[in-house]
Amino acid sequence: MLVLDGVSYRYPGYARQVLLDIDLTLGDGEIVGLVGPNEAGKSTLCLVLSGLAPASVGGVLAGTVTIDGETTAGLKSYELACLIGLVFQNPNTQRSGVTATVFEEVALGPVNLGLPVAETVERTRWAMAALRIEELAERDPARLSGGQAQLVAIASILAMRPRHLVLDEPTAQLDPEGTRLVAEALRDLASTGTALLIAEHKTDVLARICQRVVAIDAGRIVLDAPAAEGFADSRLPAIGVEAPAVVRIGAALGELGVAMPEIAP
Amino acid sequence: MASKWFRVAVAVVVGAVTLVVGMAAAGSFDTTVDPNTGLVAGSNAFMFVLAVALLLAFIAYAGVEFATTRRLDSITSQFDTRTIVLIPIAIAINIVLGQTVGNALKIPLYLDSVGTILVGALAGPIPGALTGLLANLIWTFVLAGTPFGSAFAWPFAIVAAEIGLLAGVFGYYGFFRSRPNTSIPTLVGGVVVAGLILLGLAAYGVLPFYAKGGFTFFGTNPTDSLFTIIAYGIGIGLILALVALTIQLFVRRDLGVAFIVVAGAICGVISALISAPISAFVFGGVTGSGSDILVGAFQQAGSSLIEAVFQQGLLQDPIDKTIEFIVAFLLLQTLSRRFSARFPQGERAVGMVEG
Amino acid sequence: MSGRSAWWRADVVLKPDEAAGPETAPARLSEADTAYLASLAPAAISRYQRLNPLTKATLATVTTLGAFVLGGYLGPLLLLVGIVLPGAIAAHLLRRVVRVAVLFSLPISISVALVSVFTRAGSTVLFNLGPFDATLEGVDFAAQIIVRLFTIAMALALFGLTTEPRAFVVDLERRGLSPRVAFAAAATLETIPLMVERALAIQAAQRARGLDTEGSLSARVRGVLPLVAPVILSSLTEVEERSLALEVRSFGRPGRRDLLWTLPDTGRERALRWLLVAALVVALVAPLAGVMPRLP
Repeated sequence: MLVLDGVSYRYPGYARQVLLDIDLTLGDGEIVGLVGPNEAGKSTLCLVLSGLAPASVGGVLAGTVTIDGETTAGLKSYELACLIGLVFQNPNTQRSGVTATVFEEVALGPVNLGLPVAETVERTRWAMAALRIEELAERDPARLSGGQAQLVAIASILAMRPRHLVLDEPTAQLDPEGTRLVAEALRDLASTGTALLIAEHKTDVLARICQRVVAIDAGRIVLDAPAAEGFADSRLPAIGVEAPAVVRIGAALGELGVAMPEIAP
Repeated sequence: MASKWFRVAVAVVVGAVTLVVGMAAAGSFDTTVDPNTGLVAGSNAFMFVLAVALLLAFIAYAGVEFATTRRLDSITSQFDTRTIVLIPIAIAINIVLGQTVGNALKIPLYLDSVGTILVGALAGPIPGALTGLLANLIWTFVLAGTPFGSAFAWPFAIVAAEIGLLAGVFGYYGFFRSRPNTSIPTLVGGVVVAGLILLGLAAYGVLPFYAKGGFTFFGTNPTDSLFTIIAYGIGIGLILALVALTIQLFVRRDLGVAFIVVAGAICGVISALISAPISAFVFGGVTGSGSDILVGAFQQAGSSLIEAVFQQGLLQDPIDKTIEFIVAFLLLQTLSRRFSARFPQGERAVGMVEG
Repeated sequence: MSGRSAWWRADVVLKPDEAAGPETAPARLSEADTAYLASLAPAAISRYQRLNPLTKATLATVTTLGAFVLGGYLGPLLLLVGIVLPGAIAAHLLRRVVRVAVLFSLPISISVALVSVFTRAGSTVLFNLGPFDATLEGVDFAAQIIVRLFTIAMALALFGLTTEPRAFVVDLERRGLSPRVAFAAAATLETIPLMVERALAIQAAQRARGLDTEGSLSARVRGVLPLVAPVILSSLTEVEERSLALEVRSFGRPGRRDLLWTLPDTGRERALRWLLVAALVVALVAPLAGVMPRLP
């Protein structure tokens, strides 16, 4: 269980508080979507959740971040790596550049953790199976499509078996085909028991997998509700987040006087 | 910071003692010419002694730190993840610039240390030195079979390490900071001081090598026509460059330019002094670039091989290093403060980040 | 969670939560897996290439340093014939090695020849060319340098063509090189071709917009600058993202790693390496001690 309690954060050298008084709880195995307009603090919240802020990025964090009751303050970034994983938007900069095959690339995380080889191999295979990319094992990581590269990036974090996996706009730099690949993979991932927090603009992707949605605006949490009501909430469009197509179509039909049945996620 | 100065002092003492002892043991560094190879008899011994002295000084520094704190923090703190990620990129910049720009433009500039200088300024002297060392070693040993390899870069690894070290020290003391809009009196004062330093360098570090053998810069010997042309060309180029730089200085009123020129000149003189024996001993004074004509011309004018290499180096290296320092300076200004500030030495190098 | 520990002390082993993910007994490598991992190592096509990278590196280094230490003609030629040529033949790469070595040393050999032949002070003049005299001493000096440089180029070409850089880095890490240094060395190899690709792409784009990359000096400078700056700047701005992505994968954890594949090293190779180093030391010390005369 990952708990943020009264968390505020500002980057080093800047006076402005990017996050203000955040209270957020991520339960084990929970799938949460994070939405918000640009510059609202989504990426910063992801960095804070994963502990990279302030451990690697510096800056000043007020409040507490605890995982399973223990605080993450003072932990080094490599100690946090096996607790909370973070996937970024750009598949190219997440590629390590020192491996010749996708298998080695995915195995890099466990190898860095110092695990014995047998354990590494087992985790690599598990992570690749969870994302359905076993057939990419022999490929050169530098020669993959955007969507495939992003799946490899997710697998390489998953192979470290973090308790919580945070994804910061994983489909932002992908074409529609890549987005589809990643969205489907995330759906399969949800069944592995890893807690997921997915920050996204594309609410359609989120609507189908998330159990809960959190909205952030100007550094504060403005909405925290179960998915069905959260995505339909009018506060989302108010802060500049486009509701999922399902909701928009339902609203349009509603205006025409046609009732739309409940569509389960 | 008293302990840090203590460590540096110990290192300097150890290095100096080793240098003196080593030179006494190896025979003094004289300029007698060995008839077999045409090289100064003491040059390779001098290089060896210098390398050993530097190594022992570094070990002394680390040893004192370890003895007092049981850790090597001042060294390892310079190597955080960002530095490790930057080093390969800096090495690639070195090699790509050195191979393409240096060769494509066919001008007597090396331009193969810009990455090293960046790492030194942002991360510290040790990562800078390591980048230079690794860059030259990789350039030769790893890229040996590829079009980007150079079989002859590795002997200059120690020069590259010295460049990185100096860049780190200069960065620590803020030589890479842009200081725009300085007041006119300070600006003029700064330029005067910089000019004096450069003159001092020239007088004590450069000209003695030209005064030997009664050689003057613009030779009057009629058979030196080729050399005279080259000398005039270099002289005019230097004057033009100085004029352009001064204009930049006064238009932007950026005193940082004066600082960086001094840093580059000092680094250039030291690099020339270290690389000349290497060049003479390893390559017979020839490096396959445009500087060979200069070396030949100096020899024709009466210098021995080692003297000619020194004379060529002291002409070319300060210019080349100053240009490279300026390129690094401009790059640092172009990159955002957010980028630089997170490096171990970033804030000292680039100046305090605005809120 | 483990606390801070000094970087050279025993490994910091982090125990991730085993409750997440499928329950399995502590894993042992199956035979299929062992074979698969072995297949990740670069394939060796000859007995020479199957040698451990450190052995190949030692051969190259000893030859290079020996070419300097021994001096004259005989020393480098002995090294060439005794070490480099047999190696190149055993690796079935003789022609490629010679071609690469010639490519490397040719430009610098021509420079050496021109400069030394005509400008070295000497007493026996062979012929005149304008104001320059060609001396016998100059030819002799140039020939010695060229032989030395060619030997070195051959040794390094042989090493470069028979050793996978990644394999070398992996082997060094097994011997104790810090994983972070190993990463830096390995990452450089990918960065250079990538930077070149990027530079070529930008160059094509610039040319399409009419920027000149041939011609007078000022035109060339103006052509190169818009090319160089974006390549360098884009590489540098990526540093932040790349380093965060690495930290999330536990980069920088102190301690050793259990690598997926390593290269074998035999006792015989180890003996050979020590023998080579000893021979080099002897060659270095003996002339100073007056035991060995300078070779012609």
